Amino acid sequence: MCANMAHELDVRGLPPPEPLEHIMCALQTLPVDAYLQVHIDREPYPLYDVLRDGGFDWQTIAQSDGSFSIRISRSV
Amino acid sequence: MKIISLNTEQAPPISVPMRFFAAAPLFLLLAALILMFRADNPFANIHSPALLAATHCITLGFMAMIMLGAMQQILPVVIGSPMLASRLTVWLTFLPLLSGALLLPAGFMLSKPVLINLAWPLMGLAFIAFISASLISLALSPAHNATRTAILLSILALSGAIVLGMLLAHGYATGSLLPYDKLATAHISLALGGWVLLLIVGVSYQVVPMFQLTPNYPKWLASGLAPAIFIVLLLNLLTLLLESRPYWLAIVTQGMFWFLASCFALTTLNLQSKRRRRVADATLSFFRLGMMGLMCAALFALAALFFPDTDHLGTVSAVLFLLGFAMSLMHGMLYKIVPFLVWFHLFRGGVKSGVPNLKEIIPETWKWRHLWLHRSTLLAAIFASWWNAAAWVVAFCLLMEGLLLGYALLIAISVYRRTLERIGGDSP
Repeated sequence: MCANMAHELDVRGLPPPEPLEHIMCALQTLPVDAYLQVHIDREPYPLYDVLRDGGFDWQTIAQSDGSFSIRISRSV
Repeated sequence: MKIISLNTEQAPPISVPMRFFAAAPLFLLLAALILMFRADNPFANIHSPALLAATHCITLGFMAMIMLGAMQQILPVVIGSPMLASRLTVWLTFLPLLSGALLLPAGFMLSKPVLINLAWPLMGLAFIAFISASLISLALSPAHNATRTAILLSILALSGAIVLGMLLAHGYATGSLLPYDKLATAHISLALGGWVLLLIVGVSYQVVPMFQLTPNYPKWLASGLAPAIFIVLLLNLLTLLLESRPYWLAIVTQGMFWFLASCFALTTLNLQSKRRRRVADATLSFFRLGMMGLMCAALFALAALFFPDTDHLGTVSAVLFLLGFAMSLMHGMLYKIVPFLVWFHLFRGGVKSGVPNLKEIIPETWKWRHLWLHRSTLLAAIFASWWNAAAWVVAFCLLMEGLLLGYALLIAISVYRRTLERIGGDSP
């Protein structure tokens, strides 16, 4: 079930695999020219495989509080 | 803020770690059979061939099998750097480790030097391949965190433990004159205090907050603990080089080691008491049992230092460390990692609907049964050096643990295969 249809998604505080499920759910409805900004506790290395397989680009930014912000968009 | 990007293939095929996990319960069965078919109580004499054989079944066949398999998955997931040539590394590690871990206990039990001389080169090959691939993975990792440092130090400790282990095995088989007591102390110290403890410490920094929803480990502790443990281990090794080590020096170095290990256990228990979701969870209980086991191991080890004439205290400390701490943690991690792997590989394989819930992959009731069984094994093992009947209970419980864990892993594998068959996919 999609938890958040907006282009901003906060999955901090959720146990695995819920962050991955919510992110993939949000990406299913992401418009072609839009991007999804994800806030997450830990760098989600397994997510990158799924994004690559699904044709997405991403940029990860480490935050000063130890969490991560990931900007995901469809590959051009 | 720091921008990170990563574009390499991360997760290895599920068959890579699963073959290690599937083989591990067989060694619990083997250890149980060795303890059953012995002449007298093996726990009463720490140098008995049966205890030596059963211990190596557990440390090499069960624990190393799980740790080497888990590392194939941990390196890409927690430090973002997959193991180099994972399929080749697996073949160079899995089969030599499997055969070496069968031959070495057989050599001890049957007093056949030829089996030991076959075992140690195989074991050397397995660990050299694993250590080389791990060090390359660590060097290429984009992550520079406390977990990476702890894993690196654990691999360095493993390297020393393996060299000493091969030397001891060769000497034992050929009857060479070696300072066996000192070498064995250094081997055990690097293998258990270094490789096992440091790897668990490093992985816990990620796994405990992530899966158990606790606060993060304090930064000062996470960055300082693993290097401090490693330095204390090195100091302890240096004191072994002395012709005659003053007893107070042994008390200081070992006291420092157990103090640091207890800090880790206490901090983890404290973090677990602050977890955000307070639901009963067998894997969490395995972790808590492990941390309490580590603290009790520390107490008995310190008591053994002050009462050096009593062998039993040292034996109980070793039992608490191996079965209470390390084995409890391995069970807890397996019951978390295996369902996640099954879920992730189905999810990644394009199964959009019908991916089983994480808690449905291995039924919770089986995990709780295993926890109670493991508690019984531990309790019996604590009394086994005094009470012969308890040694039989340990053997029986280990046998049941091997069967139960093997069955739980088979359930997970069959869930994975059934789901793939339903959607017509191929298993990697």
